[in-house]
Amino acid sequence: MVSNAVRAQVAAKWQESFTRLNRSEPGISGLMAFSDAWTLATEFLKPRDLNDPKPRRQYDNRRVRMAFDTINKCRRLPVMMEVFLEDLHNSQYLIAREVESHMNLYSETSDPVIVRALIFRLVEWYNAWSPPAEQIIFYRLGQTIISAYMLSFQTHLFSVLPASFARGVKSLVAATLLGTVSPPSDQRDSALWHAFDMLRLVERYETLIASVGYEYIESHVHETCAGAWSEPMLPKLRAWMLEKIVPWMIWPFARGATNAEEAKTMMQGVGSRFEFHMHKTLCDLRTKEMFDIIVDFPDSVPALNDLKECLQRVDQRAELVQSLRRANRKRLLHPGADTKDILLQYVSTIKCLRIVDPPGVLLFKVADPIRRYLRYRPDTIRCIVASLVGDGESGDSLIDDSEPIHPLQQPEVENYADPEWIPEPVDAGPDFRANKTSDIISTLVSIYDSKDLFIKELQVLLAQRLLALKDGNLDRERRNVEILKIRFGESALQVCEVMLRDMTDSRRIDQHVQSQKPNVMHPTIISRHFWPALEVSDMVMPGQFQDLQEQYAKEFSSFKPDKVLRWHPHLGRIHLELELDDRTVEADVPPLEAAFIELFSEKNTWTVDELITRVGKVTRSAALKALGTWVDMRLLKEESENVFRLLSVAEDVTEDATPKLGMASLREDLPPVISVQQQQAEQMRVYWKFIEGMLTNLGSLGLDRIQAMLKLAPGYDRTIEQLANFMEAAKREGLVTVKDGLWKLGK
Amino acid sequence: MKVRVKHWSAVAQWRWNTGNNNNNDNYAAADDEGDVCGICRVPYEGCCPTCKMPGDDCPLIWGQCSHVYHMHCLLKWLGTPTSKQQCPMDRRPWVTAERKVNNNHTGNEAP
Repeated sequence: MVSNAVRAQVAAKWQESFTRLNRSEPGISGLMAFSDAWTLATEFLKPRDLNDPKPRRQYDNRRVRMAFDTINKCRRLPVMMEVFLEDLHNSQYLIAREVESHMNLYSETSDPVIVRALIFRLVEWYNAWSPPAEQIIFYRLGQTIISAYMLSFQTHLFSVLPASFARGVKSLVAATLLGTVSPPSDQRDSALWHAFDMLRLVERYETLIASVGYEYIESHVHETCAGAWSEPMLPKLRAWMLEKIVPWMIWPFARGATNAEEAKTMMQGVGSRFEFHMHKTLCDLRTKEMFDIIVDFPDSVPALNDLKECLQRVDQRAELVQSLRRANRKRLLHPGADTKDILLQYVSTIKCLRIVDPPGVLLFKVADPIRRYLRYRPDTIRCIVASLVGDGESGDSLIDDSEPIHPLQQPEVENYADPEWIPEPVDAGPDFRANKTSDIISTLVSIYDSKDLFIKELQVLLAQRLLALKDGNLDRERRNVEILKIRFGESALQVCEVMLRDMTDSRRIDQHVQSQKPNVMHPTIISRHFWPALEVSDMVMPGQFQDLQEQYAKEFSSFKPDKVLRWHPHLGRIHLELELDDRTVEADVPPLEAAFIELFSEKNTWTVDELITRVGKVTRSAALKALGTWVDMRLLKEESENVFRLLSVAEDVTEDATPKLGMASLREDLPPVISVQQQQAEQMRVYWKFIEGMLTNLGSLGLDRIQAMLKLAPGYDRTIEQLANFMEAAKREGLVTVKDGLWKLGK
Repeated sequence: MKVRVKHWSAVAQWRWNTGNNNNNDNYAAADDEGDVCGICRVPYEGCCPTCKMPGDDCPLIWGQCSHVYHMHCLLKWLGTPTSKQQCPMDRRPWVTAERKVNNNHTGNEAP
């Protein structure tokens, strides 16, 4: 049973509580008063349903105040607060219901206005349930109860907000940027931001709000800057940020700032993040567009300057290199691109990247694949050389004439004693060479390890041009050679010098010969060994042509007694006048054509084979081509297959007179000079004899063995790769077979 | 039909008439490797190592011993004491030959 002690204790406790509630009032009137006050206060604080149509009960402020007083005197306020929070908790379903209905509507319409309405409604709830400050603020618990209320309200609110609410807030914030939901009177929508602040939504959704800013900036940059390379965009973007983003930022990010200075400090962090983002977006955009920007150079210089500035803020250099390399690989370095275009793009790339990155690290990284690719193109050298001598038939020249002419530069060793020396940039690769000052031509020439190839190609090109010269005006060529001398050095172009002198000498000799005995021949007399290999031909000129040649040669030998002439009968051009029965035709033709028509003056009908035997060894296709020229001019007619007849009287054009030979396509003039490639192939033919011999004697051999043995042959200077290519070619022709890396003669 | 040649821009190359090559008869055979100077091993139609321009600027010299050299090469050789004024090929005393060319002109071109 209950012991006395317990009983006494309970009695004491009860007595104590009673005294506290009843205070020193008579009887239980104190208790009664407390009870009244409690009822009134809890009733007063109880959260109510805003949707309840009943008007809110009016309370007498004085009585409420007194009730709180009483409770305070009894020290029951903390208990009351708990009861209040409990009540609050029980009423939260009202808000949950409201949120749900709004969000349902929003998910149907996706209209940010609904979210806005919801937020304002939530503020209403919040205000309605908030313990009225003026009643409680005087009590010690005032602040505590408000913060407890706030916390509890938010906790619950956030727990009932569905995931789609974040999306809603985002679209709402975005809408504030565009100003589509705000009332016209309040463009910046301060009311909304106040509501946000009151519900503590700003803290919760700060990153979200920032992301809206980022996206907005991004879309603006993409909209205004994409493809706009001809004017600097950065200043415009900065102005736009100041005008559009900064005012918007004030509400979410600089609340409660009392003056501009304070606001500035508060916005500094997010502001610089936004600015960075703007730079980054522009940088990304330009990086993506880089290939086309280079194509557009020099119109795109402003864009390049923008990019340069962006790259200083944003470390995107590696991305730029990557994306440009990818674009180059995809759009430039493939068989469909013209070598000339690749070179042009390469030169533009050089110029562009020098603007973006003066030390040249980016350029070095981007250029490397292009250079390696160009090295494998057979006609790269020819293209470069053609543009070197200003062979600008195709319009765009790689070099602008304004660029001063420099000698080719060798990569120089770094001079560490130089007080101006600066280390290479950090992202430079190990094989990076700073060629700070080198000009475009030096860069192009340095694609290849030696410049000898260029010199050779230059000679071939010069020879072609000199032999094709019609008016005998050498000034242009002479100027070119002088320019090239500056670039490549005097000695490298010695051979070209000899070629030019041959031209003038020929003129002088011709003048002398003509003064002795006039001759319709005006030959170009060349010094062999100094000219690139000319096509050899065993052609013999018939009839009067041979007489002319002999006459001229004789005159020459009497002028230069120690020298004799050797003709290249298939080269040059002959101007003829053909007198037919009813007409006279003038023609400017290559020697083979002239030889044929000369033969037709002997008799009127020839077969192709007869003609060929008369002029010596010419290929059948060349002969047909030459005949085709005359057929086109309606001087010859193909009577039957391979039989041609002279039309001494013009015949009407009949349908089948249209050239059956279809020679028109063959009419392109082959250059008289053998190209470097052909020369190499020619040389390789000699070595084939060696290879054939060794394979016959030794059976099958590996590539290394063949190479080692060929090294013994005089003048063999091929690499093993070149040999491999050659052997592959021989295999395709069925000359050799390969098995397990051993080469054997084919059957 | 009558063919009249109005103008012919032809291409030819010059050769030294060394007398060794069987002249105009067959072009093709003679067209291959020309002879080289026995001293500098450069073709006659090339130029000696000290010259830049071939032809009249770097002429040949004919010896009675039938050997032919670049004139500069030979003079340089004769200038050295070890030469003893002999032809470097056959060690006979060097005597410059009178050039007899198939036509009326005589004498070599050497200055």
